[in-house]
Amino acid sequence: MAHPKDRSGISRRNLLKGAAGGALGIGAIGVLAGCENTTTAIGACEGDGTSNLVVPKPTGPGGLPLPRPDNAVTWAIVPDNEPIEDNVPDEEGPLAIYNYADYLDPALVKAFQKLTGRKVEIATYNSADEAFAKLSTGAVGFDLVMGLSSSNLVGLIAQQLIQPLNHSYLKNFEPNIWPELQDPFYDRGSRYTVPYVVWSDGIGWRNDKIKTDIDAMKVPWDIFWESAPYKGKVAVLDDQRDALSMPIQRDAMREGRRPDVNTEDEAVVKQAGVDLGQLTDIANVKVAITDYQTLPEGKTWLHQSWSGDLLGAAFYYMPKGVPASVLSYWGPEKNGVVQNDFFCVGRTAKNPALAHRFINFMLDAKVAYDNMVNFVGYTPPQVSITADSLITSGLIPRSLTKAVIRPEQFAPNQQLMQLTVAGQRYWDAAWSKFKAG
Amino acid sequence: MSSRWTWRLLAFPGIAWLSVFFLMAFYVVIAVAFGNQNTLSEPVAFWNPLDWNVGYMLETLKNIANGGPFFTVLVRTFVFVTLALIMALAIGYPVAYFAARHAGRWKGLVLLLLILPFWINYLMRMLAWINLLSPDGLATRFLSSIGIERLFIAVDLLATEGGWLEGQSFTVIMALTYGYLPFLILPLYAFLDRIDQRHIEAARDLGASPFSAFRRVTLPLSRPGILAGLVLISLPMFGDYYTPDLVSQSTKTNLIGNQIDQLTRQGSSKVVGACLTLILAVLLLGLMFYYLRATRTADDRGDDR
Repeated sequence: MAHPKDRSGISRRNLLKGAAGGALGIGAIGVLAGCENTTTAIGACEGDGTSNLVVPKPTGPGGLPLPRPDNAVTWAIVPDNEPIEDNVPDEEGPLAIYNYADYLDPALVKAFQKLTGRKVEIATYNSADEAFAKLSTGAVGFDLVMGLSSSNLVGLIAQQLIQPLNHSYLKNFEPNIWPELQDPFYDRGSRYTVPYVVWSDGIGWRNDKIKTDIDAMKVPWDIFWESAPYKGKVAVLDDQRDALSMPIQRDAMREGRRPDVNTEDEAVVKQAGVDLGQLTDIANVKVAITDYQTLPEGKTWLHQSWSGDLLGAAFYYMPKGVPASVLSYWGPEKNGVVQNDFFCVGRTAKNPALAHRFINFMLDAKVAYDNMVNFVGYTPPQVSITADSLITSGLIPRSLTKAVIRPEQFAPNQQLMQLTVAGQRYWDAAWSKFKAG
Repeated sequence: MSSRWTWRLLAFPGIAWLSVFFLMAFYVVIAVAFGNQNTLSEPVAFWNPLDWNVGYMLETLKNIANGGPFFTVLVRTFVFVTLALIMALAIGYPVAYFAARHAGRWKGLVLLLLILPFWINYLMRMLAWINLLSPDGLATRFLSSIGIERLFIAVDLLATEGGWLEGQSFTVIMALTYGYLPFLILPLYAFLDRIDQRHIEAARDLGASPFSAFRRVTLPLSRPGILAGLVLISLPMFGDYYTPDLVSQSTKTNLIGNQIDQLTRQGSSKVVGACLTLILAVLLLGLMFYYLRATRTADDRGDDR
């Protein structure tokens, strides 16, 4: 029986969807437009009169800068959208949470209700697109939004859909969360967001079927172009950015350089589509996001995967008699994709203090650990959770060590970020072509 | 006079329903297809036809005309659907014929068995096939034991033993056929059941062989039923995207529905997705008109007789 998410065919990590939502509040867009105090980089906005001696940085809706590691952004806090005061007592509730389906352990929700005496109501979405459409109508005021990622952030800010956080409520943030994610480039000072879980784009495979030691390959991604013997059992992620950036990462890895996974160079994107298209002939490649299920069942042997899916597979999806040790995962140490999603508080939240309290609850080391091993599978960026600790406690086999992300993987890897409208179209075209077979 | 209006009022719920859930919704698709997108890559519908922007539609049509990806999937969709229709007819007609003419007192039971698959959701039936056709599934083992698997491999319809779900075109066609077959059989049955037995008896009395009577009387009389059934199942087949998603997932079996699904859900091409939806709708409209014309001429002939 398939997971409900598969049937929608929508990936949980739809990285691309940055910009969704029905009618766009043009007025809202203007609020943060312009560069003053919104970015650390000079010349981040094209055509705003700054020096032509700097390379222009990509801009998104309303001329807002699109964050990049070399273009970190501090989002302004504007007068009509300020964080809540300190020491506000919990509101009456119920706390309205908006989250991906099956992306939060219900037992923890119960525990929070017991702890606070407030009811929690969860509404779910299946794609970031869907979430945006609903959020931007403004019809429903969610207190807490979970699971959106940095590629969605510019859209959220542009439409003023979220409010700044008051860190005095988030006592668990500083001691528990990796220092690497406390001041991310996409939201300097974590003014609007706090990370939820992290993952890498890598390779999941059945080590009982595939004899190549993928881990030991100089460029592990090459295995996909050598996968003819496993024809019909090979798959890439059904997500245009993740899949198309794979050959881009492969090429860069061969040459030992850093890839630009957010490239807007038409030729590069086109070539990535052509390279990926070769897999159609080589392996009759499938395009799927059901790795956590098909790998354990042996329906696929080689899968481009999100690290968390392999952990989830080991935790809950192994068929009777198949040990989790048949699963292997390789993820990039550098020159690949490693990223995170986050919590944020809705602009029109009726229970903002309670929402902060819930975030802090989720940032608790024990709660975050339980949420991971009992339900979600994806790793929270908690200082106390390491691959060794999971292996020692017998939760995952050694072959999945790399599925547990380490903080030092963040800097040398990249996140898939929102592109400019023009750049996005190249990716769309290449993806359409690949998907047409 | 007033009673005539009472009867006409009966059409109101249907008209209201269609206006809201079909016409209005369809107009939204049109307004999006001839609209634009904003800096968030979100579609902006142009409601006033005078403002319509034909740029995206032209781009989409050009993609098709130049043999781009949309052309590839359109052709594939037509081929898959045509083959599925042929298979459905080859399987469905004899069944409907048997039920209508030879089932005798078992007619009720046969009909019940025909309707039975309706009781289970389409997705559920497809999911069942995933288990049946998996490498160690029941269907896979059966097909292997009766030699079908080897035959299919020999004629290149299957790549490897037990590989039915490994992105095989034939599996998708088979799944489409299976999924929509009941919708073909029922209207066919209704038509065949209504054929006046005396026509056939007359043909036999005049010296026609059973086969000739079938060919010259039953078959022509059931033609509207065949057409109705084929149209009924071809429309959803053309828009289908979850069947290839479930039983194949390969890029080689992606249909036009998959492209539309992907365009409207991933990336910044929702407007193009709307254009493609419109193009498909226009093509299907052509099919519908053909059906209406074909059945009308059949009716006219019936009246003449």
